[in-house]
Amino acid sequence: MIQYLVILLDDTSVSFCHYGNAKKERRLMPLETLEAGILFGMKENLNIQFVYPAYALPEAYNKAVERVAHVKIKPAAMPDNADVVVMDGWEECESWTAGAGVSCVLRLPKAEWFGHAGRAAALLEKAERLNVVLTDVETFTEDDFKAYEASLQELAGSLAAAYASGKTPQLNLLTDRMMLDKMNNCGAGDTNITLAPDGKFYVCPAFYQAEGGYAIGSLAGGLDIKNAQLYRLDHAPLCRHCDAYQCRRCVWLNRKTTCEANTPGHEQCVVAHLERNASRQLLLEVRKQGTFLPDKEEIREINYLDPFEIRKEW
Amino acid sequence: MAKNITFIVTKDCQLACKYCYLVGKNSKERMPWEVAKQAIDYILDHESDMREASVVWDFIGGEPFLEIDLIDQICDYLKTEMFRRNHHWFNSYRFSFSTNGINYHTDKVQRFIAKNHEHLSIGITIDGTERKHDLNRIYKGDGRGSYADVARNIPLWLEQFPHAGTKVTISSEDIPYIKESVLHLYSLGIHEVNINCVFENVWKPGDDRLFEEQLTQLADAIIDGGYYRDYACSFFSEHLGKPLDCVTQNQNWCGAGKMLAVDAEGNFYPCTRFAQYSLREKKAWIIGNIRDGIDKNKLRPFLLLDRCTQSPRKCIDCEVAEGCAWCQGENYDAADTPTIYQRATAICLMHKARVRANNYYWNKLFRKLELEDAREPYEENKPKPNPLNC
Ligand code: SF4
Ligand code: SF4
Repeated sequence: MIQYLVILLDDTSVSFCHYGNAKKERRLMPLETLEAGILFGMKENLNIQFVYPAYALPEAYNKAVERVAHVKIKPAAMPDNADVVVMDGWEECESWTAGAGVSCVLRLPKAEWFGHAGRAAALLEKAERLNVVLTDVETFTEDDFKAYEASLQELAGSLAAAYASGKTPQLNLLTDRMMLDKMNNCGAGDTNITLAPDGKFYVCPAFYQAEGGYAIGSLAGGLDIKNAQLYRLDHAPLCRHCDAYQCRRCVWLNRKTTCEANTPGHEQCVVAHLERNASRQLLLEVRKQGTFLPDKEEIREINYLDPFEIRKEW
Repeated sequence: MAKNITFIVTKDCQLACKYCYLVGKNSKERMPWEVAKQAIDYILDHESDMREASVVWDFIGGEPFLEIDLIDQICDYLKTEMFRRNHHWFNSYRFSFSTNGINYHTDKVQRFIAKNHEHLSIGITIDGTERKHDLNRIYKGDGRGSYADVARNIPLWLEQFPHAGTKVTISSEDIPYIKESVLHLYSLGIHEVNINCVFENVWKPGDDRLFEEQLTQLADAIIDGGYYRDYACSFFSEHLGKPLDCVTQNQNWCGAGKMLAVDAEGNFYPCTRFAQYSLREKKAWIIGNIRDGIDKNKLRPFLLLDRCTQSPRKCIDCEVAEGCAWCQGENYDAADTPTIYQRATAICLMHKARVRANNYYWNKLFRKLELEDAREPYEENKPKPNPLNC
């Protein structure tokens, strides 16, 4: 069931996820479209998330968005009143001073992550929550997997120390899986959809802002998600058997790598399992220090990194 | 299970069959030898990725025998290379052909057959009686029927391959000729007739009733004529028409993805039906090429396919689901979005009609065998066909 509506206020609205925004020209969503989108969200009982570009909006827009409860996702260059601030690379983190209750998304390619992951621990001091999004997961090689595993181990050490000192940092890569006992994926096309400046709905912003996307209806004609079942977990033949519950299960990456929205590529699975396994270690470590999440089961030990490899065992 | 590897050696054919799914046939795209060689080298270099105990090297077109020189060269190279590399397929390989039979008697084809006979499977497509065959299988250009040119090669073919079967495809216009066609093929000495309805959405209202009637008449003819003892027709199967369970009977029907096809440009496909010349609506599903290799991610959706994930509710709940087939390529081509996970069901009413006629067939046959006290000998000696999925 759709619960969230992401509204891209401009073609250049910041990317907060795996995709890069290929659209470089400003194109503000027409005010009538914005108002119609807000009305749609209210009538369908959807939680609205506005995604901002890196320039100030006309006053009429600021007024319009305030008519409904919402979340503001903003680029680091314009962080005022944001609920979520998106930083592109480490450089943008340097100058950032967090406000209370603000979550931070850090987007960066693997080359910037490997060898520097420790800096995320410092960032966690400032942010309520940190979501690290690697923008080139699909290019990971065997060596990259090793480097990623090492980076997670390093960070897990810092997090364990933070927990020991009574803090409760939230880092998607390591702490989400500890808290979850069922899948908590992105949900694009299933629990959330995106409205773009052209007045059309998309599975997620990537399907509008990156190459090769497609619309799933419009404000004028209504929502029309063809093969909607393929965005649901029960129609994802691999993921429905998986327990990397924190995985984004990115349907955009799925299409890009395997041509099917319901089938992940090898790299996404291995990366998610390295996170899962590092979370397992972290949970064991934190529990050595005392009672922690007593109602959560242990994350079991497994001998694979890509569930595709054990598919015959189901 | 054998690995099936198909060389699309040419997109040319002498015929322009009316039901041919190859929408992009042409006389220009022939596979160059260098492409074939590179494809073979890639495949044999990747022995660890292809662990199937045996291999079927398949040659299709268009009409493959138009490229008999190239095929001969490919087969020689394959044999030499499998031997030289001590490849596990060297002792377990076949060369397989689906031909229109027109060039079967020519010296070149016959020399090739003599050279490779013990490793060959050749199927000649003949649709039945002259009337039925020439309804669809006509020459390019003048539209002349091809029956006479094929039929003259059948005795030679059966002499060389006495157990060969033929493949018949039924479209809407063919329904009235089913009975006479199968009996005609039997009369030519062909003991195994693999016959199926096209998966495309070609069916007209009422076709299912006509189809059921034809199959019922065919059942009578096979049983009353005693053909059931040593002739097979794939329309009638003991394993047909039961409900299926989504846990224990959830296998995919089609082998796309476990197979491999390569075309003249050196592109790899999960099966030939995903090459552009086979697709009406969708873009080719290329999984790699001879230079960069196979992108395993592009194969994952195929290897994860199961029956229920791709089937609509009506198929999952169907009381007679068993034996209802599908073609992954047609599913993809007909789907609302570019996915292989949306099963096309154009065949639904035809399958149900087939199930009714099939029930009639077995009820009638078993009763007859019981009355004649002949059930046991029948069970011991019944023909064992090799049903083809596509
Ligand atoms: S599908 Fe979800 S996880 Fe993937 S890019 Fe879109 S929003 Fe992000
Ligand atoms: S790790 Fe792979 S199988 Fe598991 S949820 Fe993520 S994408 Fe799906």
